[in-house]
Parts: sequence; structure tokens; C-alpha cells
Amino acid sequence: MKRIDLSAISVREGNELLRKMAEQEDIIEVLNPDAQHHIGVGLTSPCTVKIRGSAGYFCGGLSDGARFEVDSNAGWGLGDNIYNGTVVVGGNAGAIAGVAIRGAEIVVKGNMGSRAGQVMKKGTLLCCGNANFMAGYMMYGGRIIILGDSGERVGEDMSAGDIYVAGKVNSLGSDAELIDLPADELDSIMAFLDKHEIGFKGSFQKIHNAGKKLRYATQEPQRRSLPFFKHSAEMTYWNEKIQEDVFVKSQIGRYRIRGYGTARALPHVSDIAFRKKIDPDRIESGVVDQVRMRTEIGGINGAEPLKLSMPVMVAPMSYGALSASTKRAIAIASGMSDIAENTGEGGMSDAQRGAAKQLIFQMLGGRLGWNIHDMKRADGLEIYISQGAKPGLGGQLMANKVTKELAEIRGIPEGIDLRSPSRHPDILGADDLVIKVEEFREATGYRLPVSIKLGAGRVRDDIKIAAKDGFDFIELDGMQGSTGAGSSEVIEYVGIPTLSAICEAMDALDEIEFRDKVQMVLMGGLRDGIDAVKALCLGADAVAFGSSAIIAGGCIACMQCHIGQCVTGIATQNPDHEDRYSPEQEALNIHRFFESVRWQIAAITNALGYDSVTQLSRDDLVALTPEAAAITGLPYEPEHRDETDAIAIKAS
Amino acid sequence: MCGIAGILYKKDATSRNASTGHALIEMLNGCQHRGPDSTGFALYGPSHDDQLRMRFFIGTGDEATVATTKIKEILADHNAHIIEDEVVGNNYRVVVEFDGNVQKLSYDLEHAAKVISIGSSLEILKDIGTAHEVDDVYHVNSFSGTHGLGHVRLATESDVRPEAAHPFWATGFADIAIVHNGQITNYWKMRRRLEQRGFEFNTANDSELIAVYLADKLSQGFRLEEALETSIEDLDGTFSFLVSTKNEIGYAKDKLAVKPMVMLENEDMVAIASEEVSLNKLFPGQALSTMEPAPGTFCTWHR
Repeated sequence: MKRIDLSAISVREGNELLRKMAEQEDIIEVLNPDAQHHIGVGLTSPCTVKIRGSAGYFCGGLSDGARFEVDSNAGWGLGDNIYNGTVVVGGNAGAIAGVAIRGAEIVVKGNMGSRAGQVMKKGTLLCCGNANFMAGYMMYGGRIIILGDSGERVGEDMSAGDIYVAGKVNSLGSDAELIDLPADELDSIMAFLDKHEIGFKGSFQKIHNAGKKLRYATQEPQRRSLPFFKHSAEMTYWNEKIQEDVFVKSQIGRYRIRGYGTARALPHVSDIAFRKKIDPDRIESGVVDQVRMRTEIGGINGAEPLKLSMPVMVAPMSYGALSASTKRAIAIASGMSDIAENTGEGGMSDAQRGAAKQLIFQMLGGRLGWNIHDMKRADGLEIYISQGAKPGLGGQLMANKVTKELAEIRGIPEGIDLRSPSRHPDILGADDLVIKVEEFREATGYRLPVSIKLGAGRVRDDIKIAAKDGFDFIELDGMQGSTGAGSSEVIEYVGIPTLSAICEAMDALDEIEFRDKVQMVLMGGLRDGIDAVKALCLGADAVAFGSSAIIAGGCIACMQCHIGQCVTGIATQNPDHEDRYSPEQEALNIHRFFESVRWQIAAITNALGYDSVTQLSRDDLVALTPEAAAITGLPYEPEHRDETDAIAIKAS
Repeated sequence: MCGIAGILYKKDATSRNASTGHALIEMLNGCQHRGPDSTGFALYGPSHDDQLRMRFFIGTGDEATVATTKIKEILADHNAHIIEDEVVGNNYRVVVEFDGNVQKLSYDLEHAAKVISIGSSLEILKDIGTAHEVDDVYHVNSFSGTHGLGHVRLATESDVRPEAAHPFWATGFADIAIVHNGQITNYWKMRRRLEQRGFEFNTANDSELIAVYLADKLSQGFRLEEALETSIEDLDGTFSFLVSTKNEIGYAKDKLAVKPMVMLENEDMVAIASEEVSLNKLFPGQALSTMEPAPGTFCTWHR
């Protein structure tokens, strides 16, 4: 047996040592843990780790195959996201024990804190004492066994899984239901208790999802879709769009859902222009080679940065909202153009990983598809807080898109109307977020850049929090950004326009003197290289394209992404529809689009008199409207209108 | 956006080997990751009924001279006789003999200077930097009293300034201090209510509101535990806070339990902190029987 003494070395050094030792040793003892955070995080070798004292936050988190024994107590997030493995805690566990586990066995001999088993997918969480409120909150599968009392609102908004309570059921959560315990399930519980040598005699009550709340009773009637320009047309009373809206609501009796972003006319980067007149006839053919565009993102704190051939990446879009073929096509295109692709919410597929040269792995509150193995093979990690199209809300994936294959990768039941939680179990403030970021860094050996995706809302404060919490880069998403499914009222009316967002963000960084200490990636309705250059001038280090990438790959912007019957085979999980999509061909189309972006960035940068994108600045811009001038603080010079159109036409 | 700590020793100082100041430095050092921007302490020294200890932020150089002169004038106006005074870091610390109306004196001082704390026993030491850095300047270690609070802050919604650091003194009420982790969402409503009754606020920080709210209750004759009980109903938002008076400490935790809190009690002491790691700093290498206070609960301990 080997020993690691945490009074002599840091947790970071201890974890490195632990990973090394675990390759050979069966049992490793950790001395003087003193409730420090992240002990054993990211361990993927089968061994037993005996922690002689108390452990802090995320003990054993993001591990696979190991066994952890904690003599005393454990802090928040015990066994976070464990794939397989065992954790036994001799004392009490703090809040969200067993959060997002995907197959672990967790035994807490004392009491456990609130929200235990939140968004868990599979495995067993046993509490020998009492649970605090909302055990099983938003759980998707697995089981929770509580030998004491349940606490308030047990099973709150659970989608699936089972909760067994031997003591008092204090109160049931929303959409949870108390039922009699089937005999075979009792046998299975007793076998689990025996296996972990827990003596217990008594009976259990079972709680499961009543199925009354998290499903839509009536689907929206299928109609010929209105094209985007009809949505974005000026709001006259009782126009086609309004009439359709009223009609559909008369059928379903609730808010509507649709894809894409806001269709209202809002201030945007098209309301600003370049100060210098750009003459398309004077742009040289070899301009791409004359402008330095290579951009490194994420290396600012010592991680291995993303190395982009131009300051462009693909915006996060999930496998789920999009078909696997589409994700593959985008990945191939991103590789061909040597920029970074992003997994979005729904996990990472082998095909996507293989095709993308650089891939950011995104984690959301539901932890759908999140796991240590894919973290390790990513090139960057991203904590999603919200998105520009629907800031503050979770995701929606309608039942007919939740296929068997998709459910498997996300670790959820097939065919449910999936709501992704709007908030993270373990990120309830800037202080918790620091500890979460550190967990990611521990799990991946401080190698990968860690970013935060923020939908523009309370931009100034959010940016300051993100900067101070030590993220390597921030991805800021404005209101013109799209979504695969969201409430149409929210998409239209909630959020902060992309133009305002980047200006506020830059002001925030200036206020705390962090301009040089964190990088900024802007997204949200950016359409081409012209928009990209404007974003760079306003202070972004790079931009990301979502909608324009899928439009390049065949999307017709019908805004019916949520239905699952996408005629182009993009926003669907139906194999018949997906067959219409030709990933190899669309990959080339998307790649050509990215190359046109490259040309535009080079041409404009060059025409503005620079040989590197890093030389672009606010001084290169003017505002075309009074609103844009007020938002950006740029001089109002409407006479520059339309001058960049020529570049757009010439780009090929 | 921060970490909190509090400790109360039930027995006299002879039975322990480290000072209260030292214990709080260690506890805050343990959770400095929750708030690297600024650190602060509320400590209680020996008390004399007819004396007040006061601390002010005075800045440096000419600014400090002007501020100190002004403070002295106001003290003289109120017949507060200076017994001792010194400049420590960017603080002016003064002990006065005073038997008048503390609230009136402190409001007058507030209007002219940046008051940190006033009390017959309380002294608040806070500044930009870590627990050890603040100790280096203000000698936190030398405070041996029976109880105290500590706070580490990650500044998000306001600037990194010494004045914005915690703990907060209950402006106008001697010897009451608070440290808070969370956010009070009905801040303005509660503040207006208190302002209508004549209370003054020195900052726009929600933690100051909790301090004044509790002090008001105490001055109405509520016991501390009664004030904490009503605070859980009256204050909206997410909070875990600790309060201290001349001879007691207490905690309250909101019903959502979004902000962490762990406590350890034995026959010698009670210690409360955001994370167990802070408690283990007092007992390195030991497995502790800690407990997490339940949501929507409060408790007090007194000497």
C-alpha cells in the first residue's frame, strides 16, 4: 500500500501522484486530506483510495473504475459524474451527493445534503441517514435509496429513475408520485445493502415520475412554414405571422416553440461600418497570404491553446438539435479550414471527434453526454451558462428527436420531451464556479483551456465574474444567436443584442483592468467575414458561426428545427430525413463558406491598411444609426452606409 | 461571492494555544479560493463601558491628514475625548471616552469620514488582499478575544476597494458586525423601509442591510435568535450569514440552502465556515464531526 500525504504536497500534486500510483497499486492511502477539494478527480484506473479524514468538494469526481473510501465527511458534489466505480463515505455528505453519476455506486453512511442525485443518469446512491430537500431533483435514471427520512420535495421534476425511502417521506416534489414497492425491487435493494455490508430491516416506499408535467399533451399542428423574411418583416397588425401564431395557440393552448433566433429588427453589426472607404477593385488576389490571421485562443493561463488558422470557430450546436451527419459535416469542414468545432450539449461522437482537428467539449447543467473520457480527448472545455437566443432558460429537445441512439449518448430515457435544466447543480455563484473550473483543470491535468459560454443578459457583471474566475476565454452570445428549440416569445423578445453585448463586455473588462487577462469570442447572428471583422474591431479575439455554417450546409431557415422532420436532414433524428443529407458534399460547402470568410477578413483587414487582424480596432469603425452610435460610442456617420456591400458581392 | 468564517470560544483564553485572530486567519486562508480580492475580520477586544473603539479609512498622504483632522473635529464636537489613536495601514484607529448617543455620533462621523466600525469592543480590520496580507498590515493575530468573524471576498458587482470588503458594521449600532455569502434580492424594499425610520446606509451592499436590519431588531428589544428568525422570513434571496455582537455569534441560512455552511461544535468552541476545509485548518489531520445547518435555520451561541 502506498501513501500520499496532503499535508506535504498540494492536491494538484497529490492527484498527479495518485494517477501514476494507481496504474500499479491496488490500494492507496491519502493522509491529512483536511477536507480539501478535488481529491481523486479524474482518476480512471481501478484501485482503492482510502481517504483518512474528510474530503472537500467533488471527491472522486469525473472518475471511472476506482473505489474511494472516505473515513469522515465529504463536501458538495460527492462522486460528481462518476462513470463506474464506488464511493463510500463514513460520515455525512454535503449538497448534491452523486450529482450526474452515470453508473456509480455511492454509499453515504451518515446524512446527505440537499439535491442529492441531481441530474443523475444511472447507478445507485444510498444514504443510510436522512436526506435533505429535493433528493432526486431532475434525475434522469438510476436509483436513490434513503434509509432515513426523505426531506422535502423528494423527486422534484424527476424525469425517470427510482427513489426508495425507508423513513418518512416528508413531501413529494412536483410530478413525483408515491407507489407500492414491487417485490423484485426490494430484493435488488437488499442485495445492494448486503453487498455494502449495511445491516437494515424494514420496508420501503417507492417514488417515481408521475408523467404529468414534463410532457406536452398536444403537439403543434404541422403547417407550411413561413419563411424567415415574413417573420422579420415589419410588425403590422394581423399579418400572416401573427395570424399563424394565434391559430396555433388556439390549438395547443400554450406558448409556441420554434428554432432559430430573433426575427425582429434589432441593432446589429450591420448598423456599423468601416471608417475607411474600401475599394473592392483594389483588393489583390493573394490577399489571404498577406494578412496574419492565425489566432491562438485559450493559452493565456498556460493551457495548450486552440490554434486557429483564422479568428473563427464553429458555435456550439448539439448532436440532438442537429443530426449526426450534420455534426460530422461541420466537423470535417472545421478541420479542412483548420478552425475549432464545438460539440454543443449532446455529447461527443467518435465520428465528430475523428473529423474535427480541434474540438471544444461543452458541459451544460443537465450534464447530458458529459464524461471524463471525452473530456480527455477534447481540445478545450466549455461551461455553458446560457445562450443568447434564450438567456437564463434551459434547452428543449422534443420527444421525436430523442431516439435510442441519442438517449444513450446523453444517458437519458428514450422518447421523453427533454428539458435541459437552466442552471447547474454545482454552480450557484461565482464562488462555486471557481471550484468547478478547478475540478476540470484537475481532471485534465491543467492541459486544456477552459471557457465559459454566456448568453448576453447581465453582461457587465457576468463578464467580470467570468474574468475573475480565471477562465481562459469567454464565449459571449448575443440575442441574434439561434437555438434548435425555444419558446418563440423568448426567442423574439428576451436578450441583449450582440452589438450591445460586446460593447458592454469590453467596458466591463476595462473597468476591472482585465482586457489582457482573458480572451473573448463573440457570436450571435454573425453572418460573414464582414461581421467578423467588425467584431474583431470591437474587441473580440475571435468569432463563432452557427447558423451561417448550417445554412452553408443546406439549411433553408424554415425555423422548424424543433419538429424533427427537417426536410434537409439537418435538424432531425429521423433516418429517412437524415438520408437526404450528404455529409461529404455539405462539408465541402461549409468549408468553402469558411474560406470565403477567410478571404473577407483578409481583404478588409488589408484594405484598412493592416497586415494582421490583431491591428484592428474601434478606430476603424463608425456608426450608421443613432442607436448604434449610442450603443457603441462610435461616431455617427451615416454617409458610410452600404460601402461594404461590394465586398460581400466580390467574396467567393 | 465569497467565503465566511466565525468562531466563538466557550472557555477562557488560557485553555487554547492560538488567538482568535489566528484561528480566523487560518480559517480564511483555507477558503481564500472563494474570494481572493479582499479579506476582513470582526474582532472583539477587552471592553470598557464608557469607551468606544473606532476605525476609519483615511487613505494616505494629504488625504489622510485632512480626514484625520475632520474626524478629530467631530469627536471634539460630541465631547468624545481621545484616549489613544494611531494610523495603521490606511486606517485611523482611535479610542475615545464617550457617554452620549452612539447613533448620532456615528451618523455625524459617517457624513464626514469613512467609518469602518464603532464599538466598545468591536474592531473591524479589512482591506484588499489575502488573509495573511491583511494580517501583515493590521496585526489580526494579536487579537485574543473570545469570538470573531471573517470574510473573503470576490468582488463582482462592485469595485475592489477596502470599503467594499466585509465584515460590515451595523452602521449606527455599536459592536454589531456581519459577514454574508449570498444575495438579498429585496434589498431596496428593505432598505427603504429602514431608511423611512431614520436609519442611514453607508454603502449599497446588501450585507450592510442585514447588519442594520438585525441591529434595529435588537434595539427594539428582540433577542438575537428572534432577530435571526424574522430575518429568514423578511429577507428574500440566497444567503448564509454570520452575525456577532459583544458577547455572542449566530448564523442564519436561507430556505433554498444555495450557499454552503458547515459547523463544528465541541465543549470548547463553535466554529462555522462556508466549507469544512476551513474547519480542518483548526484541526489539521483530524476527521471532524461537522454538521451542515438545515435550510431555513438559525442558531446563536453566547459567552
